[in-house]
Amino acid sequence: MFSSIEDTIQQLEKQKYICSKEIATTVYLALKMQKPILVEGPAGVGKTDLGKCIAQALGYELIRLQCYEGLDEAKALYEWEYAKQLLYTQILKDKLSKILEDQVTLKDAVNKLSTEEDVFFSEKFLVARPILKAITNKTHSVLLIDEIDKSDSEFEAFLLEVLSDFQVTIPEIGTITANKKPFVLLTSNNAREMSDALKRRCLHLYIDYPTKELEEQIVKLKVPECGNYLIKEIINTIHEIRKLPLKKDPSISETLDWAKALALLGCEVLNRDIAIDTLNFILKYEKDIELVKKNINTIIVH
Amino acid sequence: MIYDNELLNEEDKAKGIFFEFAEVLKKAGVNLSIVEIMDMMHALPLISIAEKEIFKQTLATTLIKDYTDIPIFNQCFEEFFLKKKGNDSLLEVYASHTNAEDFLFSHEEKSLLESLIDDFLDSHPQSFFKKSNEYLTKIFIDEIQASESGGAIGLSLFNRRSRFASGGADESVQQELSPQIYEAIMGMLRRRMFERNMGSAIKQREEYLLNKYIYQLKPDEIKEMRELIKRFGQKMKNRISLRKKRVKHGTIDIKRTLRRNLQYGGVPFKIFHRDRKVDRPQLVVLCDISSSVNQYSRFMLLLTYTLQSLFAKVRSFAFISNLVEITDLFREMDPERALNSIFNDTNFTYGWGSNYGNSFNQFIQNYSDALTSKTTVLILGDARNNNQDPGLDSFIKIKERSRNIYWLNPDRKHLWDWSDSIASLYIPHCTEMREVKNFLDLSHFIDTLFIQKR
Repeated sequence: MFSSIEDTIQQLEKQKYICSKEIATTVYLALKMQKPILVEGPAGVGKTDLGKCIAQALGYELIRLQCYEGLDEAKALYEWEYAKQLLYTQILKDKLSKILEDQVTLKDAVNKLSTEEDVFFSEKFLVARPILKAITNKTHSVLLIDEIDKSDSEFEAFLLEVLSDFQVTIPEIGTITANKKPFVLLTSNNAREMSDALKRRCLHLYIDYPTKELEEQIVKLKVPECGNYLIKEIINTIHEIRKLPLKKDPSISETLDWAKALALLGCEVLNRDIAIDTLNFILKYEKDIELVKKNINTIIVH
Repeated sequence: MIYDNELLNEEDKAKGIFFEFAEVLKKAGVNLSIVEIMDMMHALPLISIAEKEIFKQTLATTLIKDYTDIPIFNQCFEEFFLKKKGNDSLLEVYASHTNAEDFLFSHEEKSLLESLIDDFLDSHPQSFFKKSNEYLTKIFIDEIQASESGGAIGLSLFNRRSRFASGGADESVQQELSPQIYEAIMGMLRRRMFERNMGSAIKQREEYLLNKYIYQLKPDEIKEMRELIKRFGQKMKNRISLRKKRVKHGTIDIKRTLRRNLQYGGVPFKIFHRDRKVDRPQLVVLCDISSSVNQYSRFMLLLTYTLQSLFAKVRSFAFISNLVEITDLFREMDPERALNSIFNDTNFTYGWGSNYGNSFNQFIQNYSDALTSKTTVLILGDARNNNQDPGLDSFIKIKERSRNIYWLNPDRKHLWDWSDSIASLYIPHCTEMREVKNFLDLSHFIDTLFIQKR
């Protein structure tokens, strides 16, 4: 557990995650209040990384659930192992007939059998999927539900019980409550809006592209081989480029790739020629590259 | 700006202030439930209020659940908690006056005063309220004294013995309004003005834009609408995808059921359903962008762009006297750039006025491959053909080769056929000609389109 907001920043920095005060505040509050966080923001600002680094910093187990269209209860919560159940009934055939031996009528047999039903619908035959795993985990865990916006809206409904009460109800068994409440992080790229019910159960965190200072710090930490002067120039350029009306803005991960590439090329200053040759590291659309080329004189001084 | 935290020291007072702040946000159109406010109250003791960034983020993270509301939140936060040069922050107004108000006025007096303030604010133009608070308060007091309904309370306020006056037993009637009452009224007035500005301004603006008649939109309003349309487009997309989900379960998929149940010895433990085919509308949009109504054509192109981003299979065409396909253009560029490049394109004989006949002919000649029995054709235009050949033959051909053909006309119904409009010539051959005069109309239309397609 982080002891303060300052501590949160420091602990995460040890995991090579530089976060702003805003992010740290929300993370700290969520841990204290035992509430899930819904993280939104453009792609590539480190939403998923945040989850991973929190898990590492706290020494919690990371349980990740990647959402996709068509993800259902059986893949996210739990599933009965039909094959195993079938196999066991086959193997236990003799035992079963012994139990049912003294029953005269069919009705009695069924009644007798139903008293034994619990055996077949017990946790032994349950496959725990990520959410149930996080709930039943012996130690603390971080449950990272990635790209929740990709899932169907029905799936959100399954989540509600988990998010507010940290429990899962399985009709055949009953309600399973968490021993250790997992720390839940949901990420979304805004492909669609989340329901109000889901939002109400979470704290909300919007991560935008970082400020120049913060991004500089991130690059320094992750690509130390890059000189300080070059980093400054890279960051200034990236921030200028983000001001242009692009189809896809360069994200932090792309800034890092670029910095690595430029360091490998042995650059000390960023000049126009080198920048133009390496634009494909940060821009993924031909049209965007053309647009930046057109404006290169205003973006880079040298 | 100085961060103003001294006022937050007294805990009880502070609590009230946070409720007030939540109230301000609500009026600004932020959707707040009791859960959010409770979260905020739980979170606040965990942090140090003295640190501005942390304090602000704590409020934001607990109260704001929709990132599109963040700018509104920031605006309200600044106004509410930050001291501007020469002006008290609203926090101060709230802190010093709410107590005084409750002390000075009875409940009835307070609500009467509030309604009088509302009337006062309604009866003057916006520019009037840029004047100083003292001046406004004076005018307000003068006005309520003069008016009939306000007269009573005005009198009662003036006649009241100041409870703060030193000689409590003094029976003499004060000639001037006591400074406490004056201050309190000023506080109420300011607060009400602030709440109105914050709250309604943002919401009213949206509604105003969505309902505004297309022809009357100004260039900067169209720019403003882009964001709005984007958000509405997203909402529409959500609605549509919801409908898609509802038709998912079709008949039993025997092949898949058998295959998947082989592991259980062919006993069908799990049944698989075939997904019922969802009819994705195939749209062909023909958009009239004649120069006579430049604003309107920009708007129409924006709508076309929205349509294309909403549905997977859309082909967009723009025409004045010639017809050009713009599907790829829209796919590659953001609307503003695409719009500009269309208007700079020399392919359009710009300024000649629209020629529907010629455009329909060209469509049939060059693009009839876009039409299938599943296609819905949308025509966005006013049917003002500048007295040229209507090209009815081609229009009928388009109709025959497509499933539906809708004409969305921005003109009001009684203006169809007016001047050089030949709407009624086309009406018999359309599935429907509709009046679409603002964005909300279009949104309704898309909704019904989807219901019919099922």
